[in-house]
Amino acid sequence: MSDTRRMLAEMADPLFAELGPAATDSDWSRLDELGLPLLLVSEAGDGFGGDHVDALTVFRLAGYHALGLPLVDRIVASREEEGTEAHFHLGAFARAAQIAGALDAALAMSVAYVNERQQFGRPLGKFQVVQQELATFACEAAAANCAAMGVAEALDRGDAAFEIAAAKLRANRAASEGARIAHQVHGAIGFTQEYPLHDLTGRLRHWRSEFGGDAYWSKALGDSVIARGADAFWPDLTARAD
Amino acid sequence: MQTFVTEAVDWPESAPELRATVRALVAEHGERDPVRRANCWTKADPDFSRRLGEAGLLGMTWPKEYGGHERSQLERYVVIEELLAAGAPVGAHWIADRQSGPLLLRLGNDELKERWVPGMARGEVFACIGLSEPNSGSDLASVRTSARRDGDEWIINGQKVWTTGAHWSHFMIALIRSEAGSERQQGLSQFVIPMDAPGVSVKPIIDLTGAHEFNEVFFEDVRLPASTLLGEEGQGWRQATAELSLERSGPERYLSSMVLFLELVRHAEKHADPATWDLVGRLASDAWTLRLMSASVAAKLARGEDPALEATMVKDLGNAYEQAIPELVQGAIEMDLSGDEVLASVTAYLLQVAPSFSLRGGTREILKGIIARGLGLR
Repeated sequence: MSDTRRMLAEMADPLFAELGPAATDSDWSRLDELGLPLLLVSEAGDGFGGDHVDALTVFRLAGYHALGLPLVDRIVASREEEGTEAHFHLGAFARAAQIAGALDAALAMSVAYVNERQQFGRPLGKFQVVQQELATFACEAAAANCAAMGVAEALDRGDAAFEIAAAKLRANRAASEGARIAHQVHGAIGFTQEYPLHDLTGRLRHWRSEFGGDAYWSKALGDSVIARGADAFWPDLTARAD
Repeated sequence: MQTFVTEAVDWPESAPELRATVRALVAEHGERDPVRRANCWTKADPDFSRRLGEAGLLGMTWPKEYGGHERSQLERYVVIEELLAAGAPVGAHWIADRQSGPLLLRLGNDELKERWVPGMARGEVFACIGLSEPNSGSDLASVRTSARRDGDEWIINGQKVWTTGAHWSHFMIALIRSEAGSERQQGLSQFVIPMDAPGVSVKPIIDLTGAHEFNEVFFEDVRLPASTLLGEEGQGWRQATAELSLERSGPERYLSSMVLFLELVRHAEKHADPATWDLVGRLASDAWTLRLMSASVAAKLARGEDPALEATMVKDLGNAYEQAIPELVQGAIEMDLSGDEVLASVTAYLLQVAPSFSLRGGTREILKGIIARGLGLR
C-alpha cells in the first residue's frame, strides 16, 4: 500500500468509525476538512487527486462503518455526470466496494458474537456447523473484496466495463449470502433495532439492487461474453491484465 | 476485519509471449477429445509432457544446474493457467512439476536431486505422493506405514492408498512413521521411494467413470539406502503439510470445468435463451474473480509470504465453482446425457467426477475448519 493510501485509510477509518450510521448533515464539515468529497477530483481542479484504488479504500471503509452520510455518492457524482453510463459504472464499482466493507464488518461482528454467546454450555463458535457457515461467509467477503480491487485496478488501466459487470454481480451475490449467514448466527438479537447488525445488512440489501442488480449485470456480462464467442473468452480475460 | 488482502498482480512482461507459446503447443499436440479436456490435470499423456519439457515449460523455476529454467513463479503460473484453460493433458508430470520437484530441491541431498530432478524437468520422470492410507485420509497424522532402521538402510512396510499416478510414476515421496511407537504428528519422516524397488507393488483402483487414475501401493520389506530420507528425520509432518498449504490455490482449483463453460458459451452463440445468457454472465463473473484471487495468492507466494488462509479460501471457493458448473448447465439446458453431442457428453462426464473436486487435496469440511480457525473460532 502506498504512503498516500495508508494516510488516507488512517484518516478515514477512525472518523467513519466515530460518525457511523448516526452521522448527520452537520458532520459534512469533518469530511470536507479531509478533502474526502473531492477524492477523485484532480489536484489541478483543487481536488485530492486520488486514483481508483484510493477510492476503493474510502468506499470500503464507508461500507465497513455503515457511514450515515452519502459521501460515496458525492464522490461518484464529483467525477462523473449523473445520468451518464460512466456515472452508472463508477456507482456500481462504489457499491461493490461498500458491499465488500460491510461484509467484512458483519463478519467481524458475527465472529465476535459466536465466540461470546454461550448455548448448551459452550460458545456457539465451538459448534462445527456454525464454524462452517462462517467460513463460507469469509469466502464470500473475500470474493467481494477481491472483485472490488480488480475493478479499481482496471479503472486505473482504462476500460473496465467487463470488470465492473463481473465485480458488481459477484459482490451482489456475496451480499446476499453474507447477510443471510450473519443473521442466522446472530439469532434473535440480530433482529432487533438495538443491535447494530441491521445497519450493515439493511445497507447490503439496498446496495445489491443499486447501480445494477444481479439480473442486470449477468445479462450485460453474458451478452458481451457470448458476442465475443467461446474461443475469445480466455484470451480476452488474460489480455485485459497482461 | 479483512480476511483477504488483495494487491495488484504484476504480471510478468513475458506473459503474452508465454501464453502464445503454450497456446500454439496445445493446438498442435493437445487433447482432441473434448471430454478428455475436462478435468485435464488428471489426464496423463507422457508424450505431451515430454514436449512441454523440450519447450522449457517444466521445472520453470528450478535451477539450471538441475535442468530447470530459472524463470519466475508468476511466469510458471501463466504457463499453468494456460495449459489448464486449454484442457491440456498435464496429468503425467503434474505432481512432479508442482510438488515433488520443488520439495526435492528444497530438502533433498545432492544424490536425490541429481538422480530425479533433471528427468522431471525434461518431462520424462514422473512422481506420486504417498500420504493417504487405509485408515488415514483427512486424518493424515494416523499414518502407520513404517520405516525401520537397519544399519545403513531403512526397511519400509505398509500400504498407501488413493495414490494418483502410481502406475506411471518413477518414484514416490511418502510420509512414513520412522520412529516405532511414536504417535500422531511425531516420529514421521519423508522418503523418496523408487517405484521399481524390490518389494513395491501397485494395484489399480478403478474409479466410478471406469478410469484408472489412482492405486493402492504396497511395501513389503522394501530396503532403501539412508540417503533416500528426505529432509530431516522426524520432521515429515512439518515438511509434508507445509507443502500442502502451498498447493491449495493454483489455477487447477477453479479451472477443472472451464472446458464446459466454454461449451456453454458456444451453445449460447447458437441458441438465444435468456436463462443461458444469465448463466454465462454469472459463471464469467466467478471465473474472473477466482482468477484474481488465485493470482493474488500466487503473487504473495512469489514474494516469500505465507498466505495460508487466503490459499484455503481460494480452494474452497474454486472447488465449489468448478463443481457447480455441470450442475448449473444441466439445469439450464435440455440435453440427452447419453447422447454424443459435445455439450451433453462433457456435462455427463463432469457430473460424474465433480464430487471429487471438493475431496481431493483437502475436503471441503477440512478446508472450512482451517478457515474457521483462521477467523479465530474453535
